[in-house]
Amino acid sequence: MKSKRFQVLSERPVNKDGFVKEWPEVGLIAMNSPYDPKPSVKLENGVIVELDGKKRADFDLLDTFIADYSINKENTEKVMAMDSLKLAHMLADINVGRDELVKLTTAMTPAKVVEIVGHMNVLELMMALTKMRARKTPSNQCHVTNLKDNPIQIAADAAEAALRGFDEQETTVGIARYAPFNALALLVGAQVGRPGILTQCAVEEATELILGMRGLTAYAETVSVYGTEQVFIDGDDTPWSKSFLASAYASRGLKMRYTSGTGSEVLMGYAEKKSMLYLEARCIFVTKGAGVQGLQNGSISCIGVPGGVPGGIRAVLAENVITTMMDLEVASGNDQTFSHSDIRRTARTLMQMIPGTDFIFSGYSATPNYDNMFAGSNFDADDYDDYNILQRDLKVDGGLRPVLEEEVVKVRNKAAKVLQCVFKELDLTVITDEEVEAATYAHGSKDMPDRNVVDDLNSTEDMMKRGITGIDVVKAIKKSGYDDLAESLLGMLKLRVSGDHLHTSAIIDSNFHVISAVNDKNDYRGPGTGYAMSEARWNEVQDIPNAIDAADYK
Amino acid sequence: MMDNAVLEKMIKEVMSSMNKEDSYTSKTESAPGARMTEANYPLSEKMGKTIKAPTGKTLDEITIEGVMNGTITANDVKIAPETLEMQAQVAESVGRDAFARNLRRAAELIAVPDARVLEIYNALRPYRSTKAELLEIADELESKYCCKINSAFVREAAMLYESRGRLKK
Amino acid sequence: MEINEKVLKSIIEEVLQNLKVQESGITTSNDVADLKLSSVGPAAVGKRKDEVIIGIAPAFGEYQTKTITKIPHGKVLKEIMAGIEEEGLVPRVIRVLRTSDVSFIAHNAATLSGSGIGIGIQSKGTTVIHQKDLLPLSNVELFPQAPLITLDVYRAIGRNAAKYAKGESPSPVPTMNDQMARPKYQAIAALLHIKETEHVKQDAPAEELKVIFE
Repeated sequence: MKSKRFQVLSERPVNKDGFVKEWPEVGLIAMNSPYDPKPSVKLENGVIVELDGKKRADFDLLDTFIADYSINKENTEKVMAMDSLKLAHMLADINVGRDELVKLTTAMTPAKVVEIVGHMNVLELMMALTKMRARKTPSNQCHVTNLKDNPIQIAADAAEAALRGFDEQETTVGIARYAPFNALALLVGAQVGRPGILTQCAVEEATELILGMRGLTAYAETVSVYGTEQVFIDGDDTPWSKSFLASAYASRGLKMRYTSGTGSEVLMGYAEKKSMLYLEARCIFVTKGAGVQGLQNGSISCIGVPGGVPGGIRAVLAENVITTMMDLEVASGNDQTFSHSDIRRTARTLMQMIPGTDFIFSGYSATPNYDNMFAGSNFDADDYDDYNILQRDLKVDGGLRPVLEEEVVKVRNKAAKVLQCVFKELDLTVITDEEVEAATYAHGSKDMPDRNVVDDLNSTEDMMKRGITGIDVVKAIKKSGYDDLAESLLGMLKLRVSGDHLHTSAIIDSNFHVISAVNDKNDYRGPGTGYAMSEARWNEVQDIPNAIDAADYK
Repeated sequence: MMDNAVLEKMIKEVMSSMNKEDSYTSKTESAPGARMTEANYPLSEKMGKTIKAPTGKTLDEITIEGVMNGTITANDVKIAPETLEMQAQVAESVGRDAFARNLRRAAELIAVPDARVLEIYNALRPYRSTKAELLEIADELESKYCCKINSAFVREAAMLYESRGRLKK
Repeated sequence: MEINEKVLKSIIEEVLQNLKVQESGITTSNDVADLKLSSVGPAAVGKRKDEVIIGIAPAFGEYQTKTITKIPHGKVLKEIMAGIEEEGLVPRVIRVLRTSDVSFIAHNAATLSGSGIGIGIQSKGTTVIHQKDLLPLSNVELFPQAPLITLDVYRAIGRNAAKYAKGESPSPVPTMNDQMARPKYQAIAALLHIKETEHVKQDAPAEELKVIFE
């Protein structure tokens, strides 16, 4: 006989997820591995000669980089001598401020931070995250992509996403050569939704930089770092090439953050017997040492790996916390499909949504997941109402707001129309009225007419050859008669003259005022301190269209 | 044969480089006591009159009208080394020394053309360059573009790539 | 219905192509029971403009024999080769040993390929079409979600690679996306990749392979 109860259970979504047992010998373990190095540091004449049990003579490229660039040497011996459990207490304690802690945490070694967070449970880690994140105001980022790389749909989805509250938007490609169109469509569409949205196009490192230099993107994020030398090399970089790249971005007035995440090293086959969190800590240290303002982490595209082992989601939260301990902006993941189970995926997101982070999602899918070319996000466009109601239930600011169908249709239509004009002015491929109409009302790319891909790809190549820049886009928009929008786009380009948005955790409001961890410092010290929703913001969050008003019944 | 557009471009370039010499650089250098702090941030709002693009244009001068009549080009929406130095000082005032170091490396790289920046980046990737090639880049950065910090950084990479077997094979 | 010259020409070409396929006796993977791969020394740079190199990962067909969805490696290789042959080009198979990264494998294959076009494939089934002048981590076409790749897709990959080698600009093989592949397969993919990577030999040159389907 088969148990009917077990039959039902076996068919539950959660049992479609893949789980594996720990295998510490190859690094298939989330955190607290018996093989993780023990914290240690030794200085001679101001140079670190021993790091986490390894002598300088045995340092690999990452060890050398971390020892020389990532650790505040002034305090390091003092901090390393402090009890890790005591430091864990301080992190969870509302009476110890962020400023005081950052002085200590930026003087530690990777093994030390890992040992500290290894003492903490998820609730304590969430307390630490709420206190340690750099910017006071939490925010959110979305993905805008589609299966067909359809630029009109990208523009419309970007406009809607901006209206819904995302401050940063990221696109990527199905076909690499589509990148210039996707970047252009996102740039234009997002500004239609609201002025001041930062946009990026995640593609191969060098291509991504070119798009930024041309003024087709405002920031970059897909600049990956890894926790072992071999995987770093397989990622076709070294800490030196990546640091040079970081400076190259800043030299062009472009905001940028690195990307890393637990599980990448083991997924790429070289974990050197270390836990996922220990290796991730090394990534965070490399980011710090490179002088990059922030990091996207939270396992990211490898979430299936920590998601499949015991304690994995705790480790993912811990890596976000370590990022904030290093005084870096954190775009905290939640950006990849993680589970078939709605219960599991919600629980996973609450770890960042409740404490609030600089970007709770580093890619909430602004399209239905079938169109998400990052292989799906943990929440997608079909979850918008659920997410809005979670904010309302918990009185938590998740960065989004309820919207009305009419206003969404209006901005989608405008974005599609503007892109049609821009393509025409720049002599790119033709966008038809039929496509504008389809993008206005589309749920996803299944509702979009097919485009001639070969023509589009020839046109993107031509666009790059002709050296089209952001200034050309401003001109095209102005010529098309969208004066306000031309001003917004020029506003985006002017950002790079001042570089205010290069600072830690910067976002831009609709008046092009920069809000960052310099002028909006997180000052959380327990109840009644730190970020709280304004009355206006709380009213906006409450105001879902389907809530019944007693006054409606007379 | 030279057409008007080319001539116009040349004149603009010469004029903009003249602008650069007589204003921006000297202004910040002559005010050594005025270190930027978080109180000056955002610079676009609080130092809006001081900040200029490398071409000498102020934020107020970068207008739609200018874009349409061609007096504003892509070169006018770039950051100047002086501005990055000011931002580095702001970063230091809030304890972000590593970030400030990155901004100073970046300030040096403004002088290096886009295409060359990309080439150097690619040359620094693993197995791309011999030691001699990297050292040559370091020399070029120092002598041609005055990039002292970046030059030392590339030299350091050359030594370490050698010892870790990451040079061109 | 209007038939112009171009359409007519392409129809004729297609018919001829199909005839050629039948003549050359390309078998489908259904006939393949077993795959035998033997090394015939280091792989050299090809001189033939009409070849496409398939670079297989260190464990492919040897220490591992099935993809993540348990498609036998013999069938996979046969379909890719058949796709290349269908376009009138010649497949050459090499084993890349110095890395288990699919982009680098494909790039290595492309660099050795007389046409400059190479395909890289890992034991778990992840596949990339590459061109020798691109950056290693860029690609011509990438098929990152191994669990979604069917034998038909492998054949289409071979066909498209051959078309690129002929200097054509084919429509890319339609992109597939199943956002639930990750939660289901990623942890398992990590296991398979660890096992693949165990067979990497850092300084070993790529090996030319003789392929026998039994």
